[in-house]
Amino acid sequence: MLTVLTALAGVASAGEPTNPVRGNAEVAAQGGVLFNVMNCDGCHGAGGLGYVGPSLVDGRWRFGGDDAAIFQSIRDGRPHGMPAYGAMLPDPVIWQLVTYLQSQPVPKDVPTLAWP
Amino acid sequence: MPHIAHRRTGPRVAALLALACLAARAAQADDDGQWTRPGKDFAATRFSELDQITSANVGRLRPVWNFSTGVLSGHEGQPLVVNDTMYVVTPYPNVLYAFDLTKEDYPLRFKYRPDVDPASVGIACCDSVNRGAVYAEGKIVYNLLDGRTVAVDAKTGLEVWKTKVADLSHGETITMAPLVVGDRVFVGPSGGEYGIRGWFKALDLATGKLAWEARNLGPDSAVLAKPGIFKPFYDHGTELAEKSWAAETWKQGGAPVWGWLSYDPELDLVYYSTGNPGPYNPEQREGDNKWTSSVLARRPGDGSLVWAYQFTPHDNWDYDSNAENILAEVVVRGTPRKVLVHFDKNGFAYTLDRATGEVLVAEKYVDVNWAERVDLASGRPVLNPDKLTGKSKGMVQLICPSLEGGKSPASPAAYSPRTGLFYVPTVNLCMDWEARDTSYFPGIPYVGANVPYHPGPGGNLGAFIAWDPAAGKRVWETKEKFPVWSGALATAGNVVFYGTLDGWLKAADARTGEPLWKAKVGSGVVGAPITYRGPDGKQYVAVYSGIGGDWFLIAGDIRSDDPADVRPRADFAPDLSRYTSLGGTVWVFAL
Repeated sequence: MLTVLTALAGVASAGEPTNPVRGNAEVAAQGGVLFNVMNCDGCHGAGGLGYVGPSLVDGRWRFGGDDAAIFQSIRDGRPHGMPAYGAMLPDPVIWQLVTYLQSQPVPKDVPTLAWP
Repeated sequence: MPHIAHRRTGPRVAALLALACLAARAAQADDDGQWTRPGKDFAATRFSELDQITSANVGRLRPVWNFSTGVLSGHEGQPLVVNDTMYVVTPYPNVLYAFDLTKEDYPLRFKYRPDVDPASVGIACCDSVNRGAVYAEGKIVYNLLDGRTVAVDAKTGLEVWKTKVADLSHGETITMAPLVVGDRVFVGPSGGEYGIRGWFKALDLATGKLAWEARNLGPDSAVLAKPGIFKPFYDHGTELAEKSWAAETWKQGGAPVWGWLSYDPELDLVYYSTGNPGPYNPEQREGDNKWTSSVLARRPGDGSLVWAYQFTPHDNWDYDSNAENILAEVVVRGTPRKVLVHFDKNGFAYTLDRATGEVLVAEKYVDVNWAERVDLASGRPVLNPDKLTGKSKGMVQLICPSLEGGKSPASPAAYSPRTGLFYVPTVNLCMDWEARDTSYFPGIPYVGANVPYHPGPGGNLGAFIAWDPAAGKRVWETKEKFPVWSGALATAGNVVFYGTLDGWLKAADARTGEPLWKAKVGSGVVGAPITYRGPDGKQYVAVYSGIGGDWFLIAGDIRSDDPADVRPRADFAPDLSRYTSLGGTVWVFAL
């Protein structure tokens, strides 16, 4: 299965990778399990709501929110504490995580916190 | 709304007060009006003999100076005041400021800016806090988040030595405040959520070189548990910190040391406590898991372990025991005892004999349901089987207290020898707990649990209480809307101080808890107030404001500084972000 997924990895303009399994609900569910097994929730909180690391479900992306940017954040890490998981996780597995994150609903009223 | 209980009186209390007066007179001789150690003295009492500020006049307290540290993260810890200079260590990047208190503006004598690895920010589980420095022999000694201990010349601000003591690549950072005894500097790591193998080190004060290293887990040779010297009160046999773990799970077993230290010069014992075992799923590490969630007593000279007591064997709930161990003399059941008093995350307040580790008193200081009581004969908690967690148990509901604890270990209590009471910032939260398998990767969190919080009984999320360590009872309490996450300060003027997460510094009568004064300080208070005598002979009170630490990370949309990080408000504390966002200010108050 992994080789099939690798073969299907798309490439957008300028050679940036695109998510070959974008929108696949089964893959998103697998990604959700992985999110916990790989201890992503240890930094980003249960459901990616934010803890030591920022929220991954607010529709905001510090280092970019397109397929390639999220993929690279996970594979190569980012400054200020996001480790690089590329040595541990093959590309298809990383796309599962990307698919999971992309499948999380973003509340419409994210910018506003109000009290009656 | 604050609620105040009336003080109990009786013959036992009279005896307690008599002993307290003797202790108070003894303390007076030693108090020079400075604040040279995190907990003021070796006993970590956070009690000052200064009495210009009293319960009668504290209503006149007003701010006289403040300084923005330039850093926005949880400002835990406290300043030092030595030789008319105030020393402030900031959260990462751990700047050291030295303010000249002899001049009106408190201008800086120096500002020391270490080069701290930014990767440490992503590895510290619970905000990039620093719990303070210690002064000894002309040096200010403190820890950098990235795992190094530094000594700075207290007059010039020049670095004297810097020693790497912790391994960032294995998830170790350092947040704790060191203690100096003689020529020994004591330090310990953070990283219980990262599968570290916890340790405690002594460095040479003059050079920073390692004098000895003890592990909290593993074989006796590493733990420095030697025959004839190590005499735990309740346990027998050798290799306790290895045999109480399934297979070799002690190798990633946790037992971090991120809390407060104390020392008894007569017994020559340094006391520290350890944090949680890892991973959170207890089924991955059968056994008592010694010496996690324990208090350990070691000899400063060579690190030999003299005794150890485990507050929560085979912890299922992340009940770190890093809270301070305050030393006091307490009359227990008619006999004066030299004790150590400890308010554990697990919700029990312990009064231990500090020479042997015998449990004299262990009573609930907040709502507790994971255990019925502590059996004094065995020293072990009597467990409630319904509140055990583990992957096989699915979602266990409403365990009290939550993993934040009945008290945060980062928020130290204070003791007044005048009243004989302890003043304790408490948290009223419960939790659900769902454990699952997890795998160990160096430098990445090793947790394995999903833990939603709920308010505890009563609806108030916290309270500031006075505690009788002999009877094991609350004497008075002031309920607070939010968890009380600050440290406490007690003074001979019979005033106690604490701060709130919605940004108030408050003063109360030490005897009755009657609220006497408060001031809004711009951001939630997670540090500990101190008091000192200024160059002009007047008494001052100082505190940091700047919400953060474990709480901040969880309580929803507190932060404002990162447009890419917008979180929903926490359902158990939906109002907190209505009253505070981040900050970082040193405040000084006077009459």
